[in-house]
Amino acid sequence: MTKTTEVITSSEGEVFDVELEVDILKENQRLADENKRRLDSKGVHAIDVMGSVGSGKTSLIKTVISKIKQSYRIAVVEGDVTTTIDSDLIASEGVPTIQVNTGKECHLDANLIRKALDKLPLDNLDLIFIENVGNLICPSEFPLGSEKRLVVISVTEGPYMVVKHPMMFLGAQVVAINKTELATAMGVDPKKLSADVAKLNPHATTVFASCKNGTGINEVIKGLGIGSK
Amino acid sequence: MHEYSIATSIVETVLELAKQQNAKKIIEVRMKIGKLRVISVDQLKFSYEILSKNTLLQGSQLNIQEVAGSVKCPNCGYANEIETSDDSFHFGMPSMVCPSCGDNLSIEDGYECLITKVRMLIPTPEKTEVTDDSTIDA
Repeated sequence: MTKTTEVITSSEGEVFDVELEVDILKENQRLADENKRRLDSKGVHAIDVMGSVGSGKTSLIKTVISKIKQSYRIAVVEGDVTTTIDSDLIASEGVPTIQVNTGKECHLDANLIRKALDKLPLDNLDLIFIENVGNLICPSEFPLGSEKRLVVISVTEGPYMVVKHPMMFLGAQVVAINKTELATAMGVDPKKLSADVAKLNPHATTVFASCKNGTGINEVIKGLGIGSK
Repeated sequence: MHEYSIATSIVETVLELAKQQNAKKIIEVRMKIGKLRVISVDQLKFSYEILSKNTLLQGSQLNIQEVAGSVKCPNCGYANEIETSDDSFHFGMPSMVCPSCGDNLSIEDGYECLITKVRMLIPTPEKTEVTDDSTIDA
């Protein structure tokens, strides 16, 4: 496991330095790569859904599924600290769901996803949504093996969500700015949030969305490259 | 919060190394951590201290060298440290737009999370020149 490159012994022969290069997060990356290979071999596309608590990740997944479930075989992995509230909500769309409760951890990791994949009928799936624990910080450190990342923020979180959590947006293909129907009431300009994303990650597609009135749902689907069959 | 799980990996890795080297005690662990990693050095040290208790790592120093984020433009070859638009934030907001040609920059450095050196105490090698039976008195 450890790659020892050089060993220096002091003259007393007691203090010993081992110089090495061990990547502490490599084990998660290795498992993530393994998940990716496994999904690729089955032709299954996995999408990470990340965002803070209450940004509307579950509602957005549910709304997207309701639009595309006739064309795709979908499953959802729901990550939460505890409860099955979210997976119950998604299950009402009639798709297989796996609830992963992390207990005390603030993020999903590749090993938890490996276990979740064991329980899913991969041969009969086209698409998996993996909803991470509500958190804009820790999940960005633990790749899961997905193909794309959808980050969900909402105007109710205020005007600084992007600039305060830049790392989360660097790896995103799609950023949904949710609850836009409340933008005026909140005094938050979605265009400002969108401009912040463009500065950080010019290749991300930013969508103004509302799960309440259906705004932007088709754009999210298109941005994720799902398209209609 | 995830610093605790990273600290767990550090402690496990060092304990395995200590076992391989038959170490009596760990004195220092050195790491390189990229500034683009969302890892709080203070929290990591705190978690490390807690997890070190009652192990060979107890009382050891965790020294962390932070590595600046750097970017390169795949289009025009521009390379530099990541520019942040506002230093008032803890991390500063990096821009991934090439200031030279406007293309999307790729990240070269700043995602490191490496153990680079472990200083440990190993048993003093026994003297091998002792051959006379008379010297082995109680």
